[in-house]
Amino acid sequence: MRGRPHGFKILYLRRFSQVITLAVIVVVPLLSMNPYDWSPSRLVQGHLPPPTVMPVSGDTWAFRISNFSLLHPVAFIEEVLSAKVIYVPALVAVAIPLLLTVIFGRVFCSFICPAGFIFELNQKTNGLMKKVGLQRDLYVRDLRLTFLVLLLILGVVLSVPVISLFDPPHVLGRELIYLFTHHSLSISGTGLLVAILLYETFFTKRTWCGSICPSGGALSEMGRLRILRISMDRDACTLCQKCNEVCPYFLEPMRLAEEGGFDWTKCDNCGLCRDHCPTGAIKYTLGYKGS
Amino acid sequence: MTRRDFLIAGGLFLTGFLPLGFSGPVLRPPGARRDFLARCIRCGQCIEACPYDTLRAMDITSGGMAHSPYIDPLRTPCYLCQQRGPDGIDRPISEFLRCGEVCPTGAIRKIKNTKDVLANVPEDMKIGISVLNRDLCLAWQYDSCGECYYNCPLKDRALRDFPPDMIFSESTGIRPWVDPRHCIGCGMCNYVCPVKEHVASEVMERSHKLSLFEARYAAMVRNLVGRAGPGVKLPAIRVTVRP
Repeated sequence: MRGRPHGFKILYLRRFSQVITLAVIVVVPLLSMNPYDWSPSRLVQGHLPPPTVMPVSGDTWAFRISNFSLLHPVAFIEEVLSAKVIYVPALVAVAIPLLLTVIFGRVFCSFICPAGFIFELNQKTNGLMKKVGLQRDLYVRDLRLTFLVLLLILGVVLSVPVISLFDPPHVLGRELIYLFTHHSLSISGTGLLVAILLYETFFTKRTWCGSICPSGGALSEMGRLRILRISMDRDACTLCQKCNEVCPYFLEPMRLAEEGGFDWTKCDNCGLCRDHCPTGAIKYTLGYKGS
Repeated sequence: MTRRDFLIAGGLFLTGFLPLGFSGPVLRPPGARRDFLARCIRCGQCIEACPYDTLRAMDITSGGMAHSPYIDPLRTPCYLCQQRGPDGIDRPISEFLRCGEVCPTGAIRKIKNTKDVLANVPEDMKIGISVLNRDLCLAWQYDSCGECYYNCPLKDRALRDFPPDMIFSESTGIRPWVDPRHCIGCGMCNYVCPVKEHVASEVMERSHKLSLFEARYAAMVRNLVGRAGPGVKLPAIRVTVRP
């Protein structure tokens, strides 16, 4: 039946996945916290309960349950480029995330990334500021690839994985680790997150994800040949412009049918346009389609 | 953002990496490889998994080394993933040393934490080496200490009594010396050594009361520090990286 809106909203699935990820990166360091962290003297070893040894650790950058570990593709690339070595367990750990990215595209950004989740919720504050009149658009053009290439070269030259230092989802996870193990936060990490949040509140929304994030840029390059894409049924479209309004990266899903009218690399398959389409003209399609 | 702004921001960003070349030696986790900094992706799992919260993350002032793990033996020494029982014997709490077990990129080697890991220490487990300054040592100068000797996890092997260069001793106290063949550099001696700034300064502070014993202790420490002169590094036994 043509022109019927979709019953199930992808948004619910996405929120579920995002909340689970956020819960995981909060709970995992909380579990490995020692019961006697506040004890004044830890020297008297024999009188203390055994410290916690959890089989699970990490965040979205690298995660581990017992012997099964996962690694962010960008972390792997950086490590290979800066150390000039391929470590086989890391290669095994990166396989699943890499495969998912190649098949489904940049879904890490839309379904998993905890920083992206917070920035997404922050869009509401941006809208509020717009109503009050404190918000002003300051659009940065897409510099993700530029930053990615520059930082990777810098990593090769300095032999330091540079993107790992300030990738926001990882910064968030790392701050939580610092918070629960040493009960402190790092200035650089917290400062970066607060700065991004402030920029995205008072200036253009989703600037980091859409124009700066080097690791997101790397993921979208990996997902160039993905098979999950949104597509549009031209006959069902009523030109209501709703999809153009909701797209977080200011892409124009209404121009999907046009040749070259849609920036495929920037789309992270978040499904907002699909959910908001009143006639159900925008759909997810599986299958290879040259971009 | 104009091109000029971009270049300025890039330059500032690059200067942040300067401390990479100018920093002093840093104590890395046990089993850290030579190309540790290049391999470490700063995932923070070792800091999270460390059972005694020994590993700390370097801060932004260390530039490109920021967020990599290090050991500050003055705050927490490395307990080598052992749990001391009521009988005083150390037993392993995990199958591998935790930091190496969780490291996703092999920046820290996986070292098996067997029952006799302290009996024959693998060479790549060694973090650093302790150096004892006899001029500052309470045991050597006043015959009234031996904390490092009693607390060393490799007591009588890494830290020993009665050094080979001493022919005869009249004293009944401990005369500690470090055996570089066995020392792991876990920092326990560094941690327990009483020759520290705050102990030296306590004798001057009349605001809080010290017991007679503590006052004597502090006076001795202050004497030693004063005798050694300014610019001396405390405490008397310190861990440095292996050459």
